[in-house]
Amino acid sequence: MYEPKIIGFLCNWCSYRGADTAGMARMKYPPNVKIIRVPCSGRISPELVLRSFREGADGVILLGCHIGDCHYATGNHRTAKRMPVLKKLMEYTGIEPERLYINWVSAAEGEKFTTVIKEFTETISALPPFVETMK
Amino acid sequence: MTDRLTTLRKTIENVLPNVEGVLALRIGPGGITAPHLFSKEHSEELDKLALWPKEPVPDTLKIILRAHPDAKLAIVCRGCEERGIVEMFKHSQLNLDNLTLIGLQCEQDEAEFCRCAKPFTVHSKLTVGEPIEGVPDPLTAKIEAMSQPEKQAFWKQEFEHCIKCYGCRNICPQCFCNICALEDETWVETGRLPMPNPSMYHMVRAMHMTAKCVACRECEETCPADIPMAVHFRLIARDVREMFNYEPGASMDQKPPQLLVLEEGEYERSGLPH
Ligand code: SF4
Ligand code: SF4
Ligand code: FES
Repeated sequence: MYEPKIIGFLCNWCSYRGADTAGMARMKYPPNVKIIRVPCSGRISPELVLRSFREGADGVILLGCHIGDCHYATGNHRTAKRMPVLKKLMEYTGIEPERLYINWVSAAEGEKFTTVIKEFTETISALPPFVETMK
Repeated sequence: MTDRLTTLRKTIENVLPNVEGVLALRIGPGGITAPHLFSKEHSEELDKLALWPKEPVPDTLKIILRAHPDAKLAIVCRGCEERGIVEMFKHSQLNLDNLTLIGLQCEQDEAEFCRCAKPFTVHSKLTVGEPIEGVPDPLTAKIEAMSQPEKQAFWKQEFEHCIKCYGCRNICPQCFCNICALEDETWVETGRLPMPNPSMYHMVRAMHMTAKCVACRECEETCPADIPMAVHFRLIARDVREMFNYEPGASMDQKPPQLLVLEEGEYERSGLPH
């Protein structure tokens, strides 16, 4: 089995701290996710996600504050509006839409963070390496 | 019943005295149909007025308005072109007070050629021809029915033919940004053909056409590689209708969903976890 490469864009104000909470409690989760801290999930444009895939990521996970809790009020509304469209576009182009995953994880939700990462890593491991499918 | 060409000519003749020019199609040198600005000074040019093939009239309007933002013009537009004009208006690209719309209704064979769901105008006060029903889009249906690996192979092959001429972007009435993401090397690398798969150029363009594309198919028509890219835009348009309850060009006052704040009920329809 191959080790999938996953890019995780984590919002500084919630999910990144959620990851910290998980780490501090010594919760175990798969090491495949390369975490990139961003100021807000709304910073992640579709272009950034697409480029992550182009650079060889097998999956991209985007975690932000729950709707209503965004540090910038409506930053995560952008995420909720454009990422579902990007998933559709991936589907129409023949790319498994499961390769892109969006969820909301607060600073306190260390448990949820590990579950989400575990499940996403399993989903991606079950798919062939992205670059192979693109050849 | 008089034919559309005669009626259109009469309509234009009536409008001409009140505007600086009427944008429509003319048979030019070599018998080639192209957009032309008819004026009262040269009304004899109306002898060469044409209806078909469809040519990018709104795009020509865009070029004229860039140089003469206050020009008072009229434009002959089909359903898709009218939708394009409405979206241009919503994105502050033109002033509808200065523009008289002459709606031209498409005929069956024209609608079938364009696989058009809405071959009629809805906003134009002046209209020519009788509106007909939309027709199905067999190409989009065929591609949508493919399996995931088939789609993947299909689009890979199509995008491999792209020579990155940027024609599809240039012709689109909805592409008007001064700084274009498709010219940014961070997203679309230069100097590589065929471009690496998946094509950043086409995926970024498809994302940027979301809730803007009016299905005029000018991009497909202009493409030297015959890439059926509007299929993507049409599928996304259907999702936009379901998720955001928005149809580009359908209404004058509905806010476009590019305003990036969630409206009532939109989150529930996004398919994201609750
Ligand atoms: S069909 Fe093509 S040219 Fe027409 S609005 Fe859509 S993207 Fe632009
Ligand atoms: S018009 Fe066709 S060949 Fe030119 S950039 Fe667009 S898709 Fe590529
Ligand atoms: S600050 Fe966390 S999603 Fe906006």
